[in-house]
Amino acid sequence: MKSISRRALTLYLLIIFFMVGCGLLFFNLVTNADAWSMNRANRHLYSNGVLATAGDIKDANGNILVSTKDGKRVYSDSKNLRMATLHTVGDNAGYIASGIQTSFKDELTGYTLLDGVYNLKRYGKGNDITLTLNSAVCETAYKALGNKKGTVAVMNYKTGELVCIVSTPTYDINNKPTDIETDTSGKYEGVYLNRFFSGLYTPGSTFKVITAACAIENIPDIYKRTFECKGKIQIGEGYVICSGTHGKVNFEKALNNSCNCAFAEIAAELGAEKLTATAERLGFNAESAAVSGKIRTAKSRIDLSKSAALDIGWAGIGQYTTLINPCHMLTVISSIPNGGTAKAPYVVNKITTPEGKTSYTATQAVIGEYFTPDTAGKLDTLLRSNVKNQYGDNFFPKMEMCGKTGTAEVSDDPDKRPNALFVGYSQLSEMPFAIIVVVEDTTMSITSAVPIASQVMKTVKAEYAK
Amino acid sequence: MRLAKGKNVNLAIMLLVITLFQLTCLFTLLSKAEEQYMLSSIITFGVYIAVEYAYFIGARLVLKRHGFEVELIAFMLTSIGLSITLSVYPSKAITQLVAVLIGIVGFIVLQWILRDLKIVMALRVPAAVAGLGLLVFTLVFAGFTHGAKNWLYIGNLSIQPSELVKVAFIFVGAATLEKLQSNRSLTKYIVFALGCVGALGLMYDFGTALIFFFTFIVISFMRSGDIRTIFLVCTVALMGAVLVLMFKPYVANRFASYGHVWEYFDTSGFQQTRTMIYSAAGGLFGVGLGNGKLRDVFAATEDLVFGVVCEEFGMIMAGAILLSYVALLIYSIRHSKFARSSFYAISACAASGLMLFQASLNVFGVNDLLPLTGVTLPFISRGGSSIMCCWMLLAFIKAVDRSTYRYGGVRQ
Repeated sequence: MKSISRRALTLYLLIIFFMVGCGLLFFNLVTNADAWSMNRANRHLYSNGVLATAGDIKDANGNILVSTKDGKRVYSDSKNLRMATLHTVGDNAGYIASGIQTSFKDELTGYTLLDGVYNLKRYGKGNDITLTLNSAVCETAYKALGNKKGTVAVMNYKTGELVCIVSTPTYDINNKPTDIETDTSGKYEGVYLNRFFSGLYTPGSTFKVITAACAIENIPDIYKRTFECKGKIQIGEGYVICSGTHGKVNFEKALNNSCNCAFAEIAAELGAEKLTATAERLGFNAESAAVSGKIRTAKSRIDLSKSAALDIGWAGIGQYTTLINPCHMLTVISSIPNGGTAKAPYVVNKITTPEGKTSYTATQAVIGEYFTPDTAGKLDTLLRSNVKNQYGDNFFPKMEMCGKTGTAEVSDDPDKRPNALFVGYSQLSEMPFAIIVVVEDTTMSITSAVPIASQVMKTVKAEYAK
Repeated sequence: MRLAKGKNVNLAIMLLVITLFQLTCLFTLLSKAEEQYMLSSIITFGVYIAVEYAYFIGARLVLKRHGFEVELIAFMLTSIGLSITLSVYPSKAITQLVAVLIGIVGFIVLQWILRDLKIVMALRVPAAVAGLGLLVFTLVFAGFTHGAKNWLYIGNLSIQPSELVKVAFIFVGAATLEKLQSNRSLTKYIVFALGCVGALGLMYDFGTALIFFFTFIVISFMRSGDIRTIFLVCTVALMGAVLVLMFKPYVANRFASYGHVWEYFDTSGFQQTRTMIYSAAGGLFGVGLGNGKLRDVFAATEDLVFGVVCEEFGMIMAGAILLSYVALLIYSIRHSKFARSSFYAISACAASGLMLFQASLNVFGVNDLLPLTGVTLPFISRGGSSIMCCWMLLAFIKAVDRSTYRYGGVRQ
C-alpha cells in the first residue's frame, strides 16, 4: 500500500503540467484579451466585420459625429462634415488605422479586462468620446482644400487641443466610392491615411524657421550680417538656386523673401552638427509621444551625416532628404508663440461612461522646451514680419498673423508640380491658434497654401474670437 | 484508524452557496427563456435540486456520512453544464437531465458495488468483455459523425460508447492488478487495454484513445512502479503514432492548424479563435448567462463549452472550475495513502487523473495550447454518455475515502 500511495504522488506531475498550462492559458488570455476581444469576428461589437455597437463621438461643441442606432453606426447628417472628419473619426471597418473608431475602440466599446464587454451588453453602447475638433473649422478646411490632396490642421498653442484636422483625398463614409480599390488614376492615393498624423513631407522653405533658430543661437552677429543674392550661390562643388534675385538682404529680409542664397550660406556656415542638434532638440529623429496616448505619428527625420557642404546648403532651405510630419511641424511652430514651450497635441477631450460619468479628461502636457524664450521671441518677430511685410495682412485681417510659407520641389520630373506649405499662428491672445497647411501637387504656396490658411483662420476667428 | 488530514467542509454552508448559485442561474434562464421553455427550465432545475438535496440528506442523515467535497464539486459543475444546455438548447435539457440522473444513480450503485471487493473481482471479466465488446460493436456498426466513428444511434437516442467504456476500463484495470499474481493477468490486461486504445484509434477518436492510453499508464505504473516498462510502452506508442501520421497523412491534417490557429481564422482554426475571442470578451465576471455569442458556434456546448463559461460566467468561474478537477485528483492522491486496498487507490487516482487529463485536452485544445481533439469537459459539456461516465468515475474517487464505508458494514 505504501508504495502505491508513493507512486500516486507522481500524479502531481500531471497537476503541475495542468497548472502550468492553466497559467499559460490565463497569461495568454490576459495579455491578448484586448486584441482578441477587439477582433472583428467578435459579434458583440461588430456586425459583418463592421463596428456596430459603440459609443458616440462628438465634436468639442457636442455635435454628434457618429453614434450607434439600431445596431448600426450612424454618421453626421452633413456630407461636408463627414468628408472633413473621416480621417479623425475613422471608418467602422478599420481601414483608417489612426481613426478614433479604430484607435479608441476599447473606450468606444467600453471593453475592459475586468468586465469584458459587459457594459456594452448592459447599456447597448460603450463610452462616448468628445473630441477637441471644431466642426465649422474642419468643414472650412475641407472646402478650402477642394479636390487637392493634402492636410490642414489647427492647434491651440496654449493647450495643445487640435481643433481642426482634415486630410484629403477623403470620401463620404455613407456612400463609399465603389472604385476606391480599383482606381488607377491616383485620385485615391493614400485615401486611408491621415496625412496629418501619418504623412511625411519635404518641408521646403518652412524649414528656414529651424535654420533661422539655429543661426540665432549660434551666430552672434546674425542680425548684423548682410547677404548677397544673385539668383544662385556656389557652395562647394555646386550651386543652390534661389527663387529670385534678391540683391543685398539682411537676416530678416532674407527670411521675408525666403532667400535660398542667404539661407544656404547660413546653413553651410552652421554646419551639419549644429543644424542636426537644433532639429533633434525640436524632436526630429525621435518617436514622438502618441497623440492622446493612442495615435502614433510618423517620425520627422533629418540626416546630415553623409552630407557635403552643398547638401547642407540645400538642407538649410528644406530641400535635402529631410522630411517633416505635419503634426510634429505644427507642435514646433506652436511652441514659438508659447515662449518656446511645446505643448503635446491632443484630439480626445474627454470620455464619458454610459452612466454619464467622466472617465477621462485630457490633461495638458509639455513635450519640451523647444526654444529659449529669447529665441522664441526673435522667431516670433521674424514670422510676424513675414506676414506683415511679405504675404500681406489682408490674408489674415486683424489677426496679428505670423507664418512661413514653403514650396517644396518633390521631384525632378518637370511635369510634377511642387507641394505648397504654410505654417503660422495668430499672436492674438483670444485666438491662440497655430495652423499648418500642406497642399500636394500645386502652385507656389502664396497662391495655394496661404489662401487656404486665410479661409481657415477666418473661421477660427469667427468661432473663437467673436 | 487515521484519516487524511484536514477538516471536512461544512456541508450546510456549501450546499447553501451552491443552491444560491443554481437558483441565480435558474432565474437568469427564466428571465430570458421563451415561454415554451419556462416549464422545462423549472422542471430541470427543480428535479435536479431536489435530487441533490435528497442525496445529501440521505447520505448525511441515513448513512451518517461525513465529507462531501467530491459530490459538492460534481453537483456544482453539473449545474453549470445544465444551465448552459438549458440556455443554448432548451429543447434538449430534459434529455440531459435524464442522463444526469442516470449518472447519479450509476454513481450510487457503483459505490455500493465497490464496497465489496469480492463483487468487484467477480465483475471484472464481464466488465472487460462488455467494454471491449461495446467498442468493437461501435467500430463495426457506427457511421462517421464529424470525422469520428464513435457514435451509436438507437432510434432518437445517440450514445458514445467510449465514454461508458472509460468506467469499465478503470474498473477492469484496477481490479485485474489488485491481486497481481502472475504475468498472465498483466498480459491479459495489456491485451484488453491495447484492444480499447486500438479500437478508438480505428474510430479516429484520437482524443479518447489518448485518454485511455494515459489511464493505462497511470494504472500500470501505480501497480508495478516500473518506470522502465512505462518508458518502453510510451516509446512504442509514440513510434506507433508517428507511423500512423506517416501512412495516414489525413490524420495529421486534422491537426494542421495547431499552434497557428489565427492563420486559419475562418477554416480549421474557426472554433479555437472564436473561443479565444469570446473568452476574452467575458472579462473576469462574464457577460451573463444567455448573453454570449460563442454559443452560436458549432459544438459550443460540447467541445467549446469552456469558452462559453469564460464568456458568460467569466474568467474567475472558469479558473475555479479548472481548480476543482485538480482538487479531485489531490483528494484521491491524499486518500490513497489510507485506502483499504490498492484497488481503491489505483482506481481513484486513475479516475481523477483521467478527468484532469481530459480537461487538459479539452481546455488547452480549444485555446490552441494543444491540438484540438474534440473531447468533452468533464461534468460541464453537454452529452449524456459523457455526464454519466463522469458521475460513475466519481464513485471510484468517493470509494477511496475510508469514511465512505465506515458505517456501511464493510466486508473484507
